[in-house]
Amino acid sequence: MVQKMNLSADHVNVKGTGRAAETTNQYIKRTQARKLKHSQEYTSSRFAFGASLAIGVVILLFSIDFAEKSISPVAAVVAAVFLVESAFELLISLLLRSAVLQDREISRSLRLSGLLSAVMVLNGNIFAFIAGFTCMQKEKTLEYTLSIYMTLTTVCIVLVSALNLFKEYVADTFLLGMYLLAGLIVFDLLAMFLISKWVKRRTTDKKMLPLAICLILSAVTGNVFALLIGIISISKLCHKDKEISIEWIDIINRLFRNNMSIMGMFVVVFLISLSLCSYLTFDYSIAVENNYTAMLIAPCLEYPFGTDNFGRCVFTRIVFGARISLVIGMLATAAPLIFGGLLGAVAGYYSGKIENIIMRILDVLYAVPSILLAIAIVAAFGANTTNLILALSVSSIPVYARTVRATVMGLSNAEFVEAARACGARDWVIIIKHIIPNSLAPIIVRATMGIGTAVLSTSSMSYLGLGVEPHIPEWGNILKIGSSYLETNPYLAIFPGLAIMLIVLAFNFFGDGLRDATDPKLK
Amino acid sequence: MKRLTALVLCLLMTFSLFGCNVQTKTDVKGEGSDVELESIPLTLLGQSANEKDLNVIRDLLTQQGFDVTINMQPDRGSYMSQIDAGNYDITFTGWASISGNGDYATRGIFHSEGDSNLGHNIHDDRLDELIEEAATLTYEESIPLYAEIEKILIDEAYIAPLYVGTKVEAYNKEVVDGETVGIYAARAEPFELFDFVDESKRDTDTLYLWQIENYYTTADPIKSNENSTYMTNYNMYTRLVNFNDQMEITTNSALSRDYAVAEGNQEFYFILRDDIYFAMVDSNKQAVDSGVLVGGEDVVFSLDRAKDKDSVPNHATYSLHENIDTVEIVTDLSELENTMESATGSTILEALSDALDTPVSELVASKDEVDNASGKYQVVKITAKSAFPQMLNFLGHHSASILCKEQVEKINTYDVATYDPATDIAYGDPATVTEGPDYDNQIYASGPYILVYKNDYELVMQKNPNYMVGTEYEPKIKTISIKMIPDADSALNALRSGEVHMLNSLDVEKWSVVEGDEKLALKTQPGIAEKHLIFNTSENSVCSDLNVRKAIQNAMDQNAFIAVYENSVFPVTSPIGTIMDTGYSFTPDPSLVQGYLIEYFNSKQES
Repeated sequence: MVQKMNLSADHVNVKGTGRAAETTNQYIKRTQARKLKHSQEYTSSRFAFGASLAIGVVILLFSIDFAEKSISPVAAVVAAVFLVESAFELLISLLLRSAVLQDREISRSLRLSGLLSAVMVLNGNIFAFIAGFTCMQKEKTLEYTLSIYMTLTTVCIVLVSALNLFKEYVADTFLLGMYLLAGLIVFDLLAMFLISKWVKRRTTDKKMLPLAICLILSAVTGNVFALLIGIISISKLCHKDKEISIEWIDIINRLFRNNMSIMGMFVVVFLISLSLCSYLTFDYSIAVENNYTAMLIAPCLEYPFGTDNFGRCVFTRIVFGARISLVIGMLATAAPLIFGGLLGAVAGYYSGKIENIIMRILDVLYAVPSILLAIAIVAAFGANTTNLILALSVSSIPVYARTVRATVMGLSNAEFVEAARACGARDWVIIIKHIIPNSLAPIIVRATMGIGTAVLSTSSMSYLGLGVEPHIPEWGNILKIGSSYLETNPYLAIFPGLAIMLIVLAFNFFGDGLRDATDPKLK
Repeated sequence: MKRLTALVLCLLMTFSLFGCNVQTKTDVKGEGSDVELESIPLTLLGQSANEKDLNVIRDLLTQQGFDVTINMQPDRGSYMSQIDAGNYDITFTGWASISGNGDYATRGIFHSEGDSNLGHNIHDDRLDELIEEAATLTYEESIPLYAEIEKILIDEAYIAPLYVGTKVEAYNKEVVDGETVGIYAARAEPFELFDFVDESKRDTDTLYLWQIENYYTTADPIKSNENSTYMTNYNMYTRLVNFNDQMEITTNSALSRDYAVAEGNQEFYFILRDDIYFAMVDSNKQAVDSGVLVGGEDVVFSLDRAKDKDSVPNHATYSLHENIDTVEIVTDLSELENTMESATGSTILEALSDALDTPVSELVASKDEVDNASGKYQVVKITAKSAFPQMLNFLGHHSASILCKEQVEKINTYDVATYDPATDIAYGDPATVTEGPDYDNQIYASGPYILVYKNDYELVMQKNPNYMVGTEYEPKIKTISIKMIPDADSALNALRSGEVHMLNSLDVEKWSVVEGDEKLALKTQPGIAEKHLIFNTSENSVCSDLNVRKAIQNAMDQNAFIAVYENSVFPVTSPIGTIMDTGYSFTPDPSLVQGYLIEYFNSKQES
């Protein structure tokens, strides 16, 4: 049989040597592609190259005034910097490529070049920063990757806050805030260094405990990455059996395999952190007080996103708008999550009359278009933040109830629930202790994406004049002003529009990644 | 590790260097005032259309330490219900003195009995007396009284003046002859003046205008005093007198050849022209000459019904004409010869004859006998209930339009007391001019144009074929259509695409768009749309205290509004300021605010 096959193979070979070579080529190509794909160093530097090139080209296009055939020098310089950086990343990625393909160790000097890439964050090239630090460390544990993003978040906050230096004046607490943040960068870099030393794939050094506590404390700046490292380290230290992995850490691990979802998470964490740090480094009065001597100024260093028709700095308004959008978005998701979740759990657990009553009432609510319901509620009770949250919450209760009900219906017949029932546990104990924790995964995913939708609805309501008061810097409000200056001062609409787009995309990517990570079929 | 430390140190050093040069808010703005006053909570009421103004007012008050809450209502109805409920301390409002006289600028809003005295917050006997007295005086005599009214309004802080806006006309200069476009603050644009750049297109092309209201309420001018009928009704009927673009009374394109006011300012004489005939719409939806002359009988009929509250159901404008006592046709020439004109030494006959080609030989009672060329004229005399020189301004308002006596009497056969809109068809009913099965256009138009038909998108008007033929006021363009576009931004787009040829209002932020378009042009002129704040003077509002009102009044830095409106608005003292220069003026001084507030807190502590 084997001989026969060999024969026939020979036969084929005689006939088509060329085709065989082609097949071999394809095989080699596929192997190479697999090798490259598995090298995080190569993929991240490649991504940094592409991203820097794209940013450079976009800025270059913006710097050219096609109508007047002139180039704005500042923008052109910035574009040039990005293009040079992309060339550098291209060089690094080519060197990495040859190293990976020839199965060579990545040389020490090549690893150290990562430091150069990391410095590029100073002109806002966050992709080079990630590529740089990814390149510098051979063994990349989850904690190390998290620490890259943690440091990046702090650096970005400092850079964004530093733009205030060009203003006429800064907030009274600005210097204090900046020194604290600078100290935090030092701490983050130190932590990154120590993590690379102490944390190995399977073992975590006992010395991590005090560092982990410090990291958790540093999360008051809203840096969720720091919080995650701290909790992961502590739970790993407390975890007895090293061979068994911890379920939720696995989920985060899988989450970090998806680049887009991690960028989404970074944007979300950055905005949370910015909203908290802006208490120190930004001056609220610049965002709400009219300045009649600085109206409708085009973007410049003092006003990075220009000023609106009341002379307020759009950049500062967007920074403070992040806080309102996130708070409203999260509250308007948390409230229906709790109410809808409870109703759904009860409906799913008790089939029959109770389920029918709850679900039919929710069906009626579901039949009313959510934005219409929100408009009706706000119109009836008046436009303010509390009513807005209430309005957005009520309309999304059925969505969460349905999701939970579906999961709970499956769970209520599971063996462990039967077992609990057989042991004589009361219904509400079963619901709270067994069913709800086991049905959390899908609802967390839905909630994450729901925040994005809630932010969008908040902005839509404000745009319609039914949201928060018009002078409060909410993204929808800022966009509303921009809408009447689309032709003459387009930046008034572009920047808040981008901000809304960015946060919604970030939550969607993050939620998408979370869904993949929690899906047992995709393990 | 060493390199890392070096980098960190470098960063730290850079930050420290910046730190030395950075100016903090306290460095620049100081620690704030020495006296820390308790902040006064204020509710500012307004409509969402005025969001821009409300924001500036809020900002100016917040700067002075007030704690402002904005109560923004989506429409006038809910705004008025908030006024009635007293849910405000200050409210943003305005007044346009569309008849260009002091009485209109004051009576409605500042008189105790005024129908537009918001929340009836202004109750001042001295103010009432002055308004009544000023009404009986001629323009020059009344100026000092209006100055005193302004002084009381400011001194007692009944209002906080803000600004007066600009009236604009944006037009397509490739289509419309710019010379024929004027800016009229006190009336709708006179259509009879408009002309195309290419005069050969007068009969073939349509001139497209715009109105924001996408409905039309009535062709009966006394039943409507709102914007949906403003352009149409002003141009569909003639009046005894008209306003020009300087808001002065003229006989341009009016039914009178001339007018005269008799001594005592109580009797008004008008000598009528004989070259205006009523237009009607024939069965082919074309404007044709009805052959009926517009004459004295029509004037008497029209003004009698204008002043009589019960002449029609839903009379909207009778209060403008409540000073008219009688309207009659004068047939006795000796009356004109024996009555002296006010202020001049001549007789009424001499005054009326100034502008005539043929001297008056006979005054006739019936319009059938009128023939100006042979000296046969009609003269109408209006007697006021008391001396009221400003009567003429109200006769220029569109509610004093001249309708056809026979036609209106023919249509309005219903009983006013038992009028049922479902069965009775009134003159000018919008259903009769709407395209469709109910279309039955019965309008007789005395003006330069007649409404031929309307649909959901436009009001189509055609020129009156026998209107002042041979004069400069003979309408030039045959068809004018008013597009009804309920959104100002879409209207601007329509202007730019050539779908509409002229806009009579435009937000200041869009001016640059029009100016940047080479086929468009913009004309601007200070308008009459004045804006001010009114205080809630009832006991439960903090604004019942004069010091608080004075503080708010002085906080309203008018330069802030001028800046926000990109220099398109002007300082003003009161609505009177838009129509006459009284010599009195007030400029808010924000530096006085804290002084008034300290006085308020002191007096509060004492009591």
